[in-house]
Amino acid sequence: MRELSRRNFLVAVGAAAGTGILASCSGVAGGSGGSGERTLRYAFWGNTVRQQNYEQAFGQMKSALDITLNVEFADYDAYQERMTTQMAAGNVADIFWVPSPHVMTYEANDLYLPLSEISSLDLSDYSEADLRDFELAGTLNTMPFGIFVPVVRSNRTMAEQDGVEIPDDWDWDWLADFAADYSKNAGGERKALSYGADHDLSFEAWLRQHGEQLWTEDGQIGFSADGLGAWIEWWEKLRTSGATTSISEQDGVSPSWEDVGDRCLLWFGNSNHIVDDSAMYPETDFRLHQPPAAADATEGHPFLYFPRMAVYQQAAEERAELAGEVVGYCTSDVEMQKVVGLTMGVPPNPRVAEEYAQFATPDEQEMLRITTQAREADRLPRYEAPPGTSAWRTTFTRVLEEVTVGQAGVAAAAESMIAEIERGISRAAD
Amino acid sequence: MTLTPIRPATPAETPVPRRARRRALGRQDGVAHLFMAPWLVGLVAITLIPMLASLYLSFTDYNILSAPTFVGAENYERMLDDSRFWASARVTLVYVLVSVPLQLAFALGLALVLDKGLRGLPVYRSAYYLPSLLGTSVAVAVLWRQIFGHDGLVNQALGFFGIEGTNWLQNPSTALSTLIVLNVWTFGSPMVIFLAGLRQLPEELYEAARVDGASVVRQFASITVPLLTPIIFFNLILQTIGSFQAFTQAHVVSGGTGGPVDSTLFYTLYIYQQAFVNFDMGYASALAWVLLGVIAVITAGHFLLSRYWVFYGDSDD
Repeated sequence: MRELSRRNFLVAVGAAAGTGILASCSGVAGGSGGSGERTLRYAFWGNTVRQQNYEQAFGQMKSALDITLNVEFADYDAYQERMTTQMAAGNVADIFWVPSPHVMTYEANDLYLPLSEISSLDLSDYSEADLRDFELAGTLNTMPFGIFVPVVRSNRTMAEQDGVEIPDDWDWDWLADFAADYSKNAGGERKALSYGADHDLSFEAWLRQHGEQLWTEDGQIGFSADGLGAWIEWWEKLRTSGATTSISEQDGVSPSWEDVGDRCLLWFGNSNHIVDDSAMYPETDFRLHQPPAAADATEGHPFLYFPRMAVYQQAAEERAELAGEVVGYCTSDVEMQKVVGLTMGVPPNPRVAEEYAQFATPDEQEMLRITTQAREADRLPRYEAPPGTSAWRTTFTRVLEEVTVGQAGVAAAAESMIAEIERGISRAAD
Repeated sequence: MTLTPIRPATPAETPVPRRARRRALGRQDGVAHLFMAPWLVGLVAITLIPMLASLYLSFTDYNILSAPTFVGAENYERMLDDSRFWASARVTLVYVLVSVPLQLAFALGLALVLDKGLRGLPVYRSAYYLPSLLGTSVAVAVLWRQIFGHDGLVNQALGFFGIEGTNWLQNPSTALSTLIVLNVWTFGSPMVIFLAGLRQLPEELYEAARVDGASVVRQFASITVPLLTPIIFFNLILQTIGSFQAFTQAHVVSGGTGGPVDSTLFYTLYIYQQAFVNFDMGYASALAWVLLGVIAVITAGHFLLSRYWVFYGDSDD
């Protein structure tokens, strides 16, 4: 056997280290080779059902476009962590879904390639008003692939059993009285509502009806301590009077559908949740309602929320053009929607939404109906969460916990939440 | 005159030229380095360099997306006014102070029982060790949610006696206790070490004590514990460091928030929130270095105090 000299040893170590470094530089497997290879990386989040559906749809897309997607999938929290490390390494997927708390943070750090630079992306299905709605800070740099709106979901089966009727036109006072009355008189463990104060879109709907905003155009908090306090008070009255499920029953201030979904007549949530949530109780019929609104609610208070995808700023031109084809297929081809369904909301592309209607399940028909109402309504502009506020929902939850366990009064909790969010915005701006 | 027979030189005594010896040693060094290389590369690439980078980042404002800017000791000063920093420090300290002694006591107690030469000892040993392997996993943390939830096993058992339970994980005054129970439950690792230590204790000391009429309790207090102090010390150090770094259980049980009302906001969870939720990597790095400093000071304190209560067989004490 040949003896190992110091020189050979160092050469071997150097070669191994060099190979490792080169391997790490090559990034995640699946990058386009550049020699005509039509392969892209696509990052998204969800549960395993969504993963399977999307992979099937991407298989279909490969037949149509001859583009192979190397999928980078994770659940929502893990996805955000991976994005963070990939951003730090400058190794983000060519196309990625944008987690809502980070929309403007990514924007401020130039992560998005403006869609106007991608000639392969056909946006002719959209009106000018639609495209303006999609813009961030005046630029069309992300592509919405769904629409959610805040809703109250009623359990129609339970309502029929209990002989109650949920109106389509209601206000907050009526709902509070009805909830107290129903929970008092309903048999067993049934309640009118779960405690849903931390549902962000419903809170936003409340603010907009009361002349406030969640965020302002210039990246500040758009609501006052009074506005937030009034929202918490409304829920506290219901909770303390027994009109909602208790925090203990529903496993925290964020209600658990698995734990109390079958006991609540009404549920504040997103319109798209009906798809996954109703699957848990297949024998039950659900209906969607617009959130309550006071008669004097501010004009233009309805709004749409868009989950967005983006093309990575550093994608080379050739890859960006391929990405444009993929984004176009994902948002403008009904065949894609037929496979993945409406778990991420109603297609923003009006043509696709219309074409899909004939394939929609009854729950999806409900979603289409309620979203169309909001889409057709007059809407004041809505702004995304500014940089530095990515943890605002966690703060909101903690503040509600403090109130519900009696550690803080409503006014003090509202003030402290606003102060904490302002500190985050100010730090991000420095 | 007598002749001294000449003994042939053994290879060890044969004078070896210095250059040849150096070459031989060099060859041995090379092989040793080759075998050490994977560990050394790992140490440098994924421990040392990131640690040094983190030390530098702790003096910067770094949001991951843009280049870090040097801010001096600002991140460290910021901790003084950060109420959540103090909340996380308090939660972690309570967790360490309560769970480590309890865990060691359980581990020692069970090791004493298993040391009695039970039939099927390997089976018991494996069974008790199993939670140590699973205890920090996501699956067990999820299981914990089921056990201590509103309709969980604990409340069902309490209901059997007519006691109405609470949602233990959603009550700020009980949430941390459930995580302490989870940590205590993973006593298998120190137990195995205690068991190995107990097997080494000389039987003749116990025989002599029995002859002198010492009770079982006296034997335990005067022989077992003193002779086992090096093992207790070893376990104490390991478990203390491990408990300061606890993360997974709190992350899963609280959904990453540290709630309710920060009652399970472990220090490591707070670091994670700052780094991966707030993108405040500079502050998160400073927090990490403070944790390292605290663990180092506490470990040094343990070593200093150990001279008063740890007895080694080869010492003159």
